[in-house]
Parts: sequence; structure tokens; C-alpha cells
Amino acid sequence: MNVFLELAESTITQGFIYALLTYGIYITYKLLDFPDLSVDGSFPLGAAVTAALLIRGVNPFLTLVIAMGAGALAGLATGLIHVKLKVRDLLAGIITMTALFSINLQIAGSNLNIGRDVDTIFVAAPVGSLLGGLSLIHRKFIVSLVLVLLFKLILDLYFKTKNGMLLRATGDNATLVTTLAQDKGKMKILGLVIANALVALAGSVVCHEQRSFSSTMGTGQMVFGLAAVIIGTTIFKKFPGVKGTTAVLVGSVVYKCCIQLAISLGLPANLLKLITAVLFLVILVIGNVGEGKVKRNA
Amino acid sequence: MKKIFTFVIAVLMLVSLAACGSSGSKDVYSIGISQYGEHPSLDNCREGFLLGLEEAGLKEGEDFTVDYQNAGFDDNIAIQIGQNFSANNVDLMVGIATPSATACFAAAEDKNIPVVFNAITDPVEAKLDSGNVTGVSDKLPVEAQLDLIRTLQPEAKTIGIIYTTSEPNSVSAIREYKEKAPDYGFEIVEIGVTAQSEVTQAADTLISKKVDCISNLTDNNVVGVLASILDKTNEAGIPVYGSEIEQVKIGCVASAGIDYIELGKQAGRLAAKVLKGEATCEELPYETVTEYGIYINSEALAAMSIELPADIADKAIEANAE
Repeated sequence: MNVFLELAESTITQGFIYALLTYGIYITYKLLDFPDLSVDGSFPLGAAVTAALLIRGVNPFLTLVIAMGAGALAGLATGLIHVKLKVRDLLAGIITMTALFSINLQIAGSNLNIGRDVDTIFVAAPVGSLLGGLSLIHRKFIVSLVLVLLFKLILDLYFKTKNGMLLRATGDNATLVTTLAQDKGKMKILGLVIANALVALAGSVVCHEQRSFSSTMGTGQMVFGLAAVIIGTTIFKKFPGVKGTTAVLVGSVVYKCCIQLAISLGLPANLLKLITAVLFLVILVIGNVGEGKVKRNA
Repeated sequence: MKKIFTFVIAVLMLVSLAACGSSGSKDVYSIGISQYGEHPSLDNCREGFLLGLEEAGLKEGEDFTVDYQNAGFDDNIAIQIGQNFSANNVDLMVGIATPSATACFAAAEDKNIPVVFNAITDPVEAKLDSGNVTGVSDKLPVEAQLDLIRTLQPEAKTIGIIYTTSEPNSVSAIREYKEKAPDYGFEIVEIGVTAQSEVTQAADTLISKKVDCISNLTDNNVVGVLASILDKTNEAGIPVYGSEIEQVKIGCVASAGIDYIELGKQAGRLAAKVLKGEATCEELPYETVTEYGIYINSEALAAMSIELPADIADKAIEANAE
């Protein structure tokens, strides 16, 4: 296959997988205005749970669901620490993240690798029987596309429900939520639960894709997610009709394309992060052209 | 909307240009080297690898081209580097350190591109022991190190070791140390840390426990702040033993350890066999370090007033020698 097409396909696949994580950060950061640092712990949590289950022969698709459940618990912990114990948002996330580092290692034992004899979601039935004729790279593309669209659809539908509206109002106008006789603390907890379930799902899919869990794989995921959310929302700022989930999905893909571009240009390896930073700046500046002032969240 | 598509297309076109530029003619082998980050030992692995290929009669530029990438210790970038190599259909991928090697192996799964790994302690645990993959393990020669410490400090009873609990390499090395230490009449006092910031505190604890010496693993967190550990131990008069030559250069008294250049050469020779078609990675079992050296730092030894027995002095290599 053409080098360019193949590179584009695998890069976009990465963008799709990590978009699940950006959905979560979109909920906490954009909707709830909650800088949730538990992400760096719940992402590897999803992978740890998945790796531990896969080597015990659990159905690969079931591991996705269980990983989401584990992530939801992590979000619940951050939420309870923040709302019930009145710990500041940043610190609540840090506490959960720190605790998860140990918990992840307890769950997985140590860093875990999954042998090629174990079926992942890209190999097992029904994916295997439906897409068996396709190469693995196509299968990864299709499976991650289906996942990312499925959860986008679910989230978009949820945001239209009364509960979803309340969630969106919690970050923008907490007073409104209170005047509607609703508990804004509960909405925050709910948002964190959903967000961290999605983040853990991303970790789970990465574990399937890479056949490995490493205790340090969460480092920097929060920064990545924030960058992707901001890139996405900046790009689509002038198009209010575009849904937030679409925007952050594109943001995630653009981010991964930037990294791949920096790698492909064959620049000195140590400059990679600098190049990436410059690319982001260019995107943000393009997005801000014509704006009078820089907005707080941009 | 148009602007975004223009941008995305521009990015993709640039990628394609770059991708085209890097693919050479087919008579020349293309090798993709994915290194986890810049680190003296890992750099030595890479240098040694190229030397090993050269020894096997392959010349860079004439017989092979190298696309070298490092992930800056970021697992996610390591993933994308592997995919880049796979899309460019390199003839061979080299993964230096576990995260890079596993990412290369995952990216190579579909196309069955051979992968040669380096600087992995336990290839079996990393599931890199079967399939189109081979390489060299950098498992520490623990018994040789214990033997060396016993010879240099006949009176010593306790060895302090600091290690990162989340580093599988360190955990397996600690296990072996504790297993073998009684055979040499030692007791191991180990302190686990979770981050680099805790290492110097752990060193203080070891000093207060009056260990007779400290022995290092290839633990990245510990090695990263080795200089500040040595400041403390030198003051307390506790000798520190390194696990490889670079640590002895910094100021450890001695080490029965790995020379990562040699390790790299060993991997280079494996890669040459694969490229020349003499054997496939599947046919080549992974290798462990057969040759380890005794490295000493005379200055540091003198400061601890440790006498070097003649038989060791003969075979030891002075790490400080220019």
C-alpha cells in the first residue's frame, strides 16, 4: 500500500482511539470547568484492568466494559473527594491520580505484555469473522472508527436529555442549576464518572492495540487531552453548529497528525517536542485570526 | 470549514513528501531505529549497534540507511514512531528499551517486519521471545557483582539498594539480588521509590541505617540523580557500586557490569544476519550478555581506602581513563 495512505490511516487510527479520552476531558474541562488530573491515572487504569483480564482469557469486548466501570469508579472517587470532602478540584484529581498509580500496579502485578496468542478486539469474533479478510491496519481503523462514532452518538444524544442539559449548565452557570432545585455537586460527580469511564476506555483500547500495559503510560495524557480539546474547539470556533464532540474528535486527529508530521520530517529527534509545540501555536493562531482578544479557555 | 480541510490536507501532504524522501532504493537496506530517549547507556546501545553492523561488513550509506528516532521517554510517541517505520516498509526495526521495542513489535505485527531489540532485561516477560523478533537482553550479572563486592569489602555485611517499584527491570533484579546475596554472606536492605524525587531521601535512609555499601541497578530514576547520591555517600564514607561503566565514570567505586557498546554490537551482529538473509529473527533466539567487564574508578576507590587485589587490578578497566 502507498506509504502516505498507510501512514495517514495509522495516524488517524491513533487520533480516533485517543478521541475517546478527549471526549472525557471535553466533559470535565469544557462543560464542568473542572481541571481533572485523575485522567493520568484512569487512562492506565483502563489498560491495567484490560491487560489483567486479557491474560486470564476474558472476552476482549467484555474487557472494554469492565475497564469503563473501573474508570467510572475512579471518577466517582475524585468527585466524592471534591464534593463531599470539599477538597479543591486540582488536588482531588491529584489524590486520585497518585492513588491509582499504586492501584494500577496492584491490578496488573507489574508492567504487562500480552502475547500474540491472545485475541484482542481487533482479532476476536465478531470482528475477526466480519473483517477477517482485511489487514490488521484496516481492522484497527474500522474498529476504532466504530467505537469513536458510537460514543459520539451516545454523548450527543445524552447532552440533549434534561440530565445532559443540566450537566452542561453546571460549568457555565452553576447558579442556574441550583435555582432549578438540582444539586450541582451531584452533576459534577456524574460528569467525572462519565469522563473517567471514557478515559479508561481509551486506555483499554490502547492496551488492545499495543498489547501492553505500562505503569507510566498515563503520563502526559491530561496535557494531550487539553491540547486536543483546545485545538478542536479553536478550529471550529466560527462554526457554532458543529458539536463539541466532533470538534474534539478532530482535535485529537490533528494532534496525532502533528506528531507524525514531526516524526516524518526526519528532524533531529530531540527537537520533536519543540516542533510539535510550534505546530500547535500555528493552529491556535490561525484559529484566533480576526479575534479581538484571546479568550480565557482558548 | 474550508480552512480546516486545507490545513489537514496540507499536513497530510507534508507527511507524504517526508515519507517519500526517506525511502531509498531496494538494494540498500533501510533500518528504523526507535530509541526510548536520550540516555548515555541507550545511546551506547545505538552506537554499538552500528559498529556491530559494520563489523559484519555492512556500511552505512552503501549497504543500509538508518532512520533514527527517539521518543523522548514518551510511550505515545514511541507508538507513532513504530507506525511510521511500518508504513515506510523498513527492512528491519530496532527497538532500544522496552517501550520502544514493544511499540515496534506491535506495529510490525501485520507485515511481519523483523524486529531486533536491545536493552531489555526480561524478553520473556515482555513477550518478545517468540515471533519475528530477536535481540539482546541487558540482564545484570548479579552474581559477578556480589562476588566483586565480597572481594573488595571482605568485612561487609549489608548492601543497600534503591529501586523504582514500577520498573520491572529493577523489580526482577532485586529479586535476584535477594536470592543470591546469602550465598555471598550479604543481607540486602532495599528501599523502593515511586519517583525520582524520592531517591535522595531513600539514600539518606540507607546512610542512617549504616549499610556497608550501596549497589546500583540500571534503574533510570536512581541513575538520573546518581551524582547527588554520591555527594551524600562520599561524606558518609559508604562505597557505591555501579551497574555499568557510565556509573563508574560518574564516581562509583567499581562495577561488574555491562558495556552497552558491546551489547549494541551483539545486537548489530544479529541484525546483520537477518538483513543478509542468513537467518530469520524466528530462528535466532535472543541473547544475553556473555561478556561483562570489571570497571573501576581508582580515585573513588582511594577515597574509600579500598585496596584492589592484584588479580582484579589485572583485568579491571579504569573507567576514568581517557
